[in-house]
Amino acid sequence: MRLFCDSGRGLAASMIAAGLAMSLGGSAYASDNKIALIPGGPHPYFKPWEQAAADAQKDFGIAAVDFKVPTEWKLSLQTELVESLAAQGYTAFGIFPGDAVGINSTVEELKASSIPSAALAGCAQDPTGVAFCLGTDVYNSAYLGTKELIKAMGGKGAIVHLAGLLVDPNTTLRVKAVETAVAETNGAVTLLQTVADTDAQEAADQKINALLAAQKDDIGGMIATGYIPSVVASKSLRSLGDKRIKFVGIDDDQIVLDAIKDGFVSGTMAQNPYGQGYVGAFALDLLAGGGCTMKDDAPWIETPQTKRFIDSGTMVINADNLESYRDDLKKITTSIQASFKDKYMNCP
Amino acid sequence: MNTIFRRLLMVEWSGLLAAIILGAAVLAWLSPAFLTEFNIYVMLRSFCVALLVGFAQMVTLAVGQLNISVGALGGLVAVLAGGMMEKLGFPVAVAVPLAIGIGGLAGLLNGVLTVRTGINGFIITLATASAFTGINLGITESIPFYDMPPSLVAFGSNRFFGFPYLLIAPIVVAALLGLFLARTVPGRHLLAVGGNPQAAELSGISRDGITMLAHALSGALAGAAAVLAVAQLGSAQPTIGADWLLLSFAAPIIGGAALTGGHVSVLGTTLAVVLIALIENGMVLAKVDPYWVQFVLGALILAAVWLNRWRAVRTGMG
Repeated sequence: MRLFCDSGRGLAASMIAAGLAMSLGGSAYASDNKIALIPGGPHPYFKPWEQAAADAQKDFGIAAVDFKVPTEWKLSLQTELVESLAAQGYTAFGIFPGDAVGINSTVEELKASSIPSAALAGCAQDPTGVAFCLGTDVYNSAYLGTKELIKAMGGKGAIVHLAGLLVDPNTTLRVKAVETAVAETNGAVTLLQTVADTDAQEAADQKINALLAAQKDDIGGMIATGYIPSVVASKSLRSLGDKRIKFVGIDDDQIVLDAIKDGFVSGTMAQNPYGQGYVGAFALDLLAGGGCTMKDDAPWIETPQTKRFIDSGTMVINADNLESYRDDLKKITTSIQASFKDKYMNCP
Repeated sequence: MNTIFRRLLMVEWSGLLAAIILGAAVLAWLSPAFLTEFNIYVMLRSFCVALLVGFAQMVTLAVGQLNISVGALGGLVAVLAGGMMEKLGFPVAVAVPLAIGIGGLAGLLNGVLTVRTGINGFIITLATASAFTGINLGITESIPFYDMPPSLVAFGSNRFFGFPYLLIAPIVVAALLGLFLARTVPGRHLLAVGGNPQAAELSGISRDGITMLAHALSGALAGAAAVLAVAQLGSAQPTIGADWLLLSFAAPIIGGAALTGGHVSVLGTTLAVVLIALIENGMVLAKVDPYWVQFVLGALILAAVWLNRWRAVRTGMG
């Protein structure tokens, strides 16, 4: 039984109230909030959230910031986890929506119980009850990545786009971004092929190697906009010993970083999962305290999914900044956090 | 000529062979890259893990059982093998047999639970699949083991012209499995129990023992597939096995296995995996629109099954 629906709503409300009372009963923390950061399911991308949660708890004196992972990538498991944590007294949630639309009913239920939530790393579809969405501007990241690739290719040649799950609406945005960057070259660069659904390791291995087998000589460059194809393509280019094909990936898996170091990969688009978790927890703490609300007239970025998007930062990692990019990302995080309250919130 | 054709039609897997030859001819005509050495290597390499996955399900189908935990068990064995090599420093020669043994034990657990509780193997393996995945995630927290021994990674990626070294393992396993099912007493018992459990039991065959044997064998084969996947990918990924389930049923069933048990074909399953690998490779070569890949894949597999069915009806075997 879902805790928050229909007849369960009263029970849920009283459980939440009990949880709140427990958490409010005298504490040595600056804030008595209990915040949960919840990814869509197990994935290495979210690993930095664990550290971000621990750092935010310490730095902002929050009673608890916990990283809780649903056992599988299923919306139902995620919403059950959220509801169970709410019943245990958690006062705010940072969620990577398991489904951009499907998460909204749970978020509305939380809102009805005065529990704020934010979408982190990926957005919920408007109209939504989440206070804001803090994540990578996927369109911009794919666009900048393709530009970087085109630069590495000397401004001409044919490229292939290795995309992630087709059912993910962000994939459509990334496909458009790659097409736009290619179109801007006025024909100097062409898009040879888009290979999609490469989000499972074994499928990616098969598809990417088949692609290289068939068209290795025609391909001037490849751009991957998903975590798994980035890793697999880096490995494939290394095993082929091919440094002619330029490649730009996404995220900073060790395999990709090693391939950049050894010259098989031109670069990778860094996202900022740590910053999403850290700044997300900071903002949720202010919202859950009851004092702050989000500004309507803040400098929000409008995306096809939401009107309240904040870019958590993206940058190119290449051979030049391989050693220093983590510090650069930390600087971005610090800068977003320092200005967040004034820029996006109304606080007394 | 007509007699030769009729004789060929009588052979169970001839429809699959015809589909493979037809498909390969079309692909060679469509894309000159199809017959290149590297593409043959890529296809053969993708075939290795898939074949063992097909066999892992085939042996449980032989006794009329199902193993829903094939992929989850594979994922668990993969991370255990990875963990043993990276964290505990076990040499490949120790970690690999140990990992396959753990697969066999996990399979045996499926068998023991099925036999002792009397609950359908479908339910038991559905439950153990969740448990195996849970242990996998508990161990790895979804972070792969990256530092695999270079000898294992080299085995997974090196080749002799178009022949991947990785292919040695499935060839050996297929030969041994074929011999086991056709020539050994436990192998014949496996099919006897699947064909008619009551008759088998009246003949003095231990139905429970054979069911446990089938599950243990299935676990060991899934474990072997997992080790090959680790060698192929060069890291022990917790997601290994996540998409094995459909393939595990498709390969033996397209290859002519009866869902009710008693009849399986090592050669048929092998040809079915070749056909699936060929179709998947062809999708990329023919630059099929990514949004239509799943549809085309399903339609082509259906066409291959239909071809085999047509052959069976024509020869009066259907």
